[in-house]
Amino acid sequence: MDKNQFLQSFAEQFDETDPSAFTMNAKFKEMDEWSSMVALMIIAMVDENYNKKITGADLRETDTIEQLFERVAAK
Amino acid sequence: MKEWLQNRTECQNFETDCMEVRFPFSLEGKTILVTGASSGIGLSVCRAVVASGGSVIGVARREDCLKEMENELGAGNASYIKADLSLDADIEDITLRMPEVNGLVYAAGITRLAPLKFIKRHDLEEVMNVNYFSMVLLLAQVVRHKKIKRNANSSVVLISSVAQQVGTKSSLLYTGSKGAMSAGSRVIANELSSQKIRVNTIEPGMVQTAMASEMEDMLSKEVVEKDMKQYPLGYGIPEDVANAAVFLLSDASRWMTGQSITLDGGRYKLLD
Repeated sequence: MDKNQFLQSFAEQFDETDPSAFTMNAKFKEMDEWSSMVALMIIAMVDENYNKKITGADLRETDTIEQLFERVAAK
Repeated sequence: MKEWLQNRTECQNFETDCMEVRFPFSLEGKTILVTGASSGIGLSVCRAVVASGGSVIGVARREDCLKEMENELGAGNASYIKADLSLDADIEDITLRMPEVNGLVYAAGITRLAPLKFIKRHDLEEVMNVNYFSMVLLLAQVVRHKKIKRNANSSVVLISSVAQQVGTKSSLLYTGSKGAMSAGSRVIANELSSQKIRVNTIEPGMVQTAMASEMEDMLSKEVVEKDMKQYPLGYGIPEDVANAAVFLLSDASRWMTGQSITLDGGRYKLLD
């Protein structure tokens, strides 16, 4: 799994947030645009791009994009 | 005037006969085919049919669950046909093996959450196949082979969803399929009305089933808890839907067709 590709795909699920806000250390749930809808899009993106299933619990238990990346990579 | 009075008297006599012969909510003497009978709402419908005096033929893919259902309800009251409703050959097999029934409950269904931009043809086909295409194709064969009693107050009950009345985010696959089911039910009700076969839908809100647990796994416990608070009477249980199905299958609803019963614990009509 490529980190930059993951970061880009993650950022693509947001419409309003400035692209510069997306770093691997960014705390995604603290972003103003974060919502249950964005959460569903992240779940769907991981499924589509990596053929891996993550759940709401995976999002709940991670804070940064890096942590989420590691969790997806480990699946 | 004289003819009208005679008709009215005949109707009154019929109503009196119905009421006196048996409790109108009873399913005594009725045989009901139930799809999705291995779990959730379908299994609850099987139990409720037998508890109301009827006998049931359960249809599902998982034979172990069907056997369990038959054992629980008693072989005299319950039987089953193992079938995959997504296969035309299995639908034909059901139609050939089933006896003539007084009612049919279509409770087979699946759900998938996906935001619009992630939806693919394969997802649409998968959900529409089980929730809509198979319902239409099963009813088509049952009617074609005259396996549902005509002119005997037979009843078809389709388990749709309140989702088709609203627009919940990411529910397009499921909502579209249930919308098709609910809209289609009125056409089928009209076509079968001349045979006095009634067709109605039940549109439940969130019911605590394995399907709902899958949703909880995909979303999060917090999202589900927040949603549950929107239900003045809380989430439903499968028995709530099964009891409404018994009413629609029974003679108590003999004047009702092409209609829908919403069961949502007050979720969408009661506002703070």
